[in-house]
Amino acid sequence: MKIRDKLILGFSLYILLATIFVFFSYREIRTITTRLAYVEVVDDITNDVLEVRRNEKNFFLVRNEESLKGIKEYLSALKKDINGIKVEIIKAIETDNYITMKKAITEYEYYVDNLANNFESQEKLTVMIRTAGKQIEDRLSGKELNEFLILRKYEKNIMLYKDQKLYEAFKSLKPLNLEGNKEIEKYRILVHNLYEIYKDDKDSEDKSRLKAREIQSVAEELSKKEREYISLTLKRMAKLPLFGLLAIIVLGAIISIQFSVNIATPIKRLEEITKKIAMGDFSETIEVKGKDEIASLGRSFNQMEKRILDSKSALQNAVEVAVATCNEKQAQLIATEKLAILGLFAAGVAHEINNPLAIINEKAGLMKDILEMSEDFKHKTKFLNLLEAIFESINRCRTVTHRILGFARKTEVSIEILDVNDIIKGATVFLEKEILYKNIRLDLDLRENLPEVRSDKGQLQQVFLNILKNAIDAVDNGGLVAVNTDLKDETMVKVSIKDNGHGISGENLKHIFEPFFTTKGKGKGTGIGLSITYGIVKNLGGNILLESEDNKGTTFIVEIPINSELTKGQVA
Amino acid sequence: MSTKVLIVDDEVEFASTLAERLALRNYDVKAVYNAEDAITTAQSDPPDVVLLDLRMPGIGGLEVLKTLKKFDPTIEVILVTGQPETEGADEGIPTGLFDYIMKPVDMGELIVKINNADQKRNLSKHS
Repeated sequence: MKIRDKLILGFSLYILLATIFVFFSYREIRTITTRLAYVEVVDDITNDVLEVRRNEKNFFLVRNEESLKGIKEYLSALKKDINGIKVEIIKAIETDNYITMKKAITEYEYYVDNLANNFESQEKLTVMIRTAGKQIEDRLSGKELNEFLILRKYEKNIMLYKDQKLYEAFKSLKPLNLEGNKEIEKYRILVHNLYEIYKDDKDSEDKSRLKAREIQSVAEELSKKEREYISLTLKRMAKLPLFGLLAIIVLGAIISIQFSVNIATPIKRLEEITKKIAMGDFSETIEVKGKDEIASLGRSFNQMEKRILDSKSALQNAVEVAVATCNEKQAQLIATEKLAILGLFAAGVAHEINNPLAIINEKAGLMKDILEMSEDFKHKTKFLNLLEAIFESINRCRTVTHRILGFARKTEVSIEILDVNDIIKGATVFLEKEILYKNIRLDLDLRENLPEVRSDKGQLQQVFLNILKNAIDAVDNGGLVAVNTDLKDETMVKVSIKDNGHGISGENLKHIFEPFFTTKGKGKGTGIGLSITYGIVKNLGGNILLESEDNKGTTFIVEIPINSELTKGQVA
Repeated sequence: MSTKVLIVDDEVEFASTLAERLALRNYDVKAVYNAEDAITTAQSDPPDVVLLDLRMPGIGGLEVLKTLKKFDPTIEVILVTGQPETEGADEGIPTGLFDYIMKPVDMGELIVKINNADQKRNLSKHS
């Protein structure tokens, strides 16, 4: 997951948390508000119930019209309140409670109606009984009146106490004097009826009281429940900020730790490694985890480090190669310089020797002339032989000085288009006698269509002549000399001249191109040939290489540029 | 009539000895040891062939060659040089140099060259 996404997620979580917190708080407040409305309704109901009960109590105490009216009034208010309760409130206060209450109210109403009817009937009957009693009293007298007055006493007590025993006593009274009196019978029936109403009224009173108590208890229960609910909600609400705060702190801590682990720590690590790299320590890399920007940065960083390291090692290699090449070139330059100085020195020496040598030659020549013209004398032949020996030495000296001077002098290069194969063939012609004499096998492996070169014919001839001569001298009788021409690359023709002769030891190889250095026997070589060859090849812009092993032979490799940089008339 | 040869070389021992040896071979030889003497001698007694050293103190061999050729183009000059091959000779050929020979001199070779030069001089004198 990307850091941006992580940050957004963290922020979103915070917002979500805050929203949830606010939502819950709002909901709780709404709940409380709603519940408070329920409490109001329940309170109204409870109030109504209490009013009904107060009037009921009064009614049972004094049995007046006013209390009955109060009961009815508040009962109808209660009914109105109950019926007006909304469905959601019914649900909130529990449907069972509601139904119980409604049923109880209906039943209560019935009993209250009963009571009201009874009250009316009682009133009527009481009036009727009293009126009838009064009328009978007026008509009666004496014993009969006394007996009747006893009845009336009972009647009053019954009306006052509504007691069964009193009525039983009233009923069992058999006034002998009044027997058969229709009016009294009628009166007694009225009292009986009143008592019956009392009985019924007593029942209704008990039952209505019971119902009223039930209604009251339900109402009180509801009120209590609602208050408890609100209290609970308030308690819960009080906890909400605490939990919200705790959640925000915990989430904040988690996000901070996540940020630290996922961003700050890797960046710190990156900084450390960057410092190390700055100090040249490439030993460490970033540990890449996940797929976020930090991981991507880490990967890029590692790539960069690797690239730097690669470049560094490539640079090191290049520098090493350059230094090696430079050293080699310097060594070559020093060698060339050394050879040039040696050449100049040799030329100076040769020149200085050449003049006295010429004088010796002339003096000896004159001596020979004179001797030849002289008559024979005792040692004439011996003198002539001695002079010949002098000439021989002079000739050897001359060969040396002429070659040195030829090598050292300024050489004008004459550029022509040449076929190297032809030059080699031409050079071998000069050596035919020696090849034949030593019975040497000469293998010419000359590449066909070898590109022509622009170079100096005479100098190239001298080069191949010198090398071939060297090869012939190196092999024993019946030895092998192999010449091969080929292309080295697009710019150079390569000529290798291989012999199976004695070879050159490592120590001698170092000096092979120096003037006067020779491995040939005394009087056989001047030590000039190869140094001249070397000078010419270099002069023509080519290379000369030598591979040799003791007793296994030597291979000279001459590389000639196809397009010599030297132009006609240029003085090297 | 024998061929007149003038040897010009600052190396006295060389020039005098060579002169003596050529005289023994019936050449009319004179030897001088500097450029000025060479010009004077050649003008007073013109030679057939001059053996000339190129490197000499003073006006030098090349100047001698030019002066002699101006004085008498039929005089043939052979360069006798300590340097090999064509050094100096290349410069000398346009001014009428006949040939050159390296020191130390091989007598047989020199005789051939002198005779060739003399033959050429005779041919050009009579044409």
